[in-house]
Amino acid sequence: MAACMKRLDRAMLSIRLLRNIQLHNERSLSTSLHRLALDGEQPSKFTPPVKPVIIDKTQSVASLRKFLSPEFVPPRQRTNPAKFSMERRDMVRRRKVLHIPEFYVGSILAVTMTDPHSAGKNNRFVGICIQRGGRGLGATFVLRNIIDNQGVEICYEMYSPRVQQIEVLKLEKRLDDNLMYLRDALPEYCTVDPDMKPHPFSTTGEVPVNKIKVKMLPKPWSKRWERPKFDVKGIRFDLCLSPEQMEHAQKWAQPWLEYDMLKEYDTSKLEEDIYTEIQQEAATK
Amino acid sequence: MAAWASRLLLLRAPCWAALRTGGASESPVLALGCVRTLNGTTWFEEHLTEDNQKYMKKSISEEYRRQTAEKLNPLKDEPWPRHEWTEGSRRVGLVAVKLGMVPVWTKSGERHVVTMIQVQDCHVVKCLSKEEFDGHTAALLVGGKNVSPFHRSEETMEMFRIAGVPPKQKVTTFKVSDNALIKPGTPLYAAHFRPGQYVDITAKTIGKGFQGVMKRYGFKGQPASHGSTKTHRRPGGSGPGDPAKVFKGKKMPGQMGNYFDTAHGLKVWRVNTKANVLYVHGSVPGHRNCLLKVRDTILPRRSASLLHPPFPTFFSEEEGDLAEDLYDQDMFVHTEPSLTLD
Repeated sequence: MAACMKRLDRAMLSIRLLRNIQLHNERSLSTSLHRLALDGEQPSKFTPPVKPVIIDKTQSVASLRKFLSPEFVPPRQRTNPAKFSMERRDMVRRRKVLHIPEFYVGSILAVTMTDPHSAGKNNRFVGICIQRGGRGLGATFVLRNIIDNQGVEICYEMYSPRVQQIEVLKLEKRLDDNLMYLRDALPEYCTVDPDMKPHPFSTTGEVPVNKIKVKMLPKPWSKRWERPKFDVKGIRFDLCLSPEQMEHAQKWAQPWLEYDMLKEYDTSKLEEDIYTEIQQEAATK
Repeated sequence: MAAWASRLLLLRAPCWAALRTGGASESPVLALGCVRTLNGTTWFEEHLTEDNQKYMKKSISEEYRRQTAEKLNPLKDEPWPRHEWTEGSRRVGLVAVKLGMVPVWTKSGERHVVTMIQVQDCHVVKCLSKEEFDGHTAALLVGGKNVSPFHRSEETMEMFRIAGVPPKQKVTTFKVSDNALIKPGTPLYAAHFRPGQYVDITAKTIGKGFQGVMKRYGFKGQPASHGSTKTHRRPGGSGPGDPAKVFKGKKMPGQMGNYFDTAHGLKVWRVNTKANVLYVHGSVPGHRNCLLKVRDTILPRRSASLLHPPFPTFFSEEEGDLAEDLYDQDMFVHTEPSLTLD
């Protein structure tokens, strides 16, 4: 400690010496010392201190959620992989211009789109994402909302140049990967306020799952949602169907399909490769 | 050959029969001698050990890869005289592989679907002058996609050996005008076609087998119920009674697909010169990974799009500074900002 103080004293002394030298040769001085010298003469204009950036040390880059949009994963078929890699390059190029955020079926989105038929040439639609479809550049998602007691669904192409902006107003998942049954549910479940404010969400950890189960309108429905092939978990079947009807629907069950090894398509390794490839490509240029 | 094979067995049989039985019994030898094998032709691994086969496959594939990478070009050795593009000249085409379909968008926001077509190791294989071909036009034989040289006939291999290119999966003939002849061995690239021009694509359609008229020609069929019996998917009447015959060309059940078909006047939206990929408007006959024949369109009103193309073909040595992607002027490029309407 004493040594440290000694060194500080010497440094102060050298600064004082330098201030004396300043009179002889101003140019050789560093700018900070120069300012020190000027402070006494004329007070500089007030500059507000820089806003402190709070960096959460617990939240490192590694803990950020790894998200690969599902349209990047190529379908399982005998197509030349070069086709998909060229498509991915185009997708990354588009993503550099347009920010396509992470979202899931069940999230509430707002999409601004160029529309030649609307008044302001722009159209903003808010709704709940009920389905994601397509692979590669042809990827789509469907937004549903109820406007003037009329159900409205719009299917958006993710990579269309007419899409101006995609905002996530509420990031959450639902019990199912496809919410087409909301068409036959009570309208309150897909009614979203068009002027909704975005809900804050964290970029780490798991995406919250909304475990809501919807009440359905009386039958007939657009599809027989109780059938096992839809495997719907988000419907209160106990309110609309009798146990006998639920039992009867099991007649169409195909329990052997889950043991069909030919239908297995493990994309975990593929997804990792594509994720690193996309990260590299997004970093270039 | 068959006779030769059986004789070989007769000659050899005593030796190993003798080894096995110690020359005690001669009866199994006679039985062996009667075995006949159906060896119609010779094949490459006939007298080779497994190691030799492996070595041969490896060395041959290496040699072909070298040949392809070398880009053997007639400009390097003595080139053939080049001519200028004139109205009515007919250029050579390409042999390409169908990759699949993707969407593209125009600058006005319209969406089109295009087919991606990749040009893989496409070479001019043979040049036929007017006299050699049919007396009317000259022709060029073009092959695409390298394959194994084994299991090919000697005559086919001879053609490739003369051209100095690896054997090809598909070889097609292009009728060309006399000023568009190219020296055999020249590699052809996707940049042979330019965005904005129109092409015709020929390929073998996907086979559907013997089909009825409802699937083959979209006939309506008959009602499923309301008293109709045994007549639900049949063609119905085959014409009026007065001519008392069925006219030729009457649509009837028959083979559907698996024939050569041409899609005319398809616009080229984009050319990737690095991966040699063409983006061609709409659908194209044939299945995925199918080999296609691509050429300049013969439609008279679309031929006007072909003004001063690379003639007789694109030589990478001459205009090697082409951009990686060539786009049609109407096409939206993904690096541009989103569209706004004024």
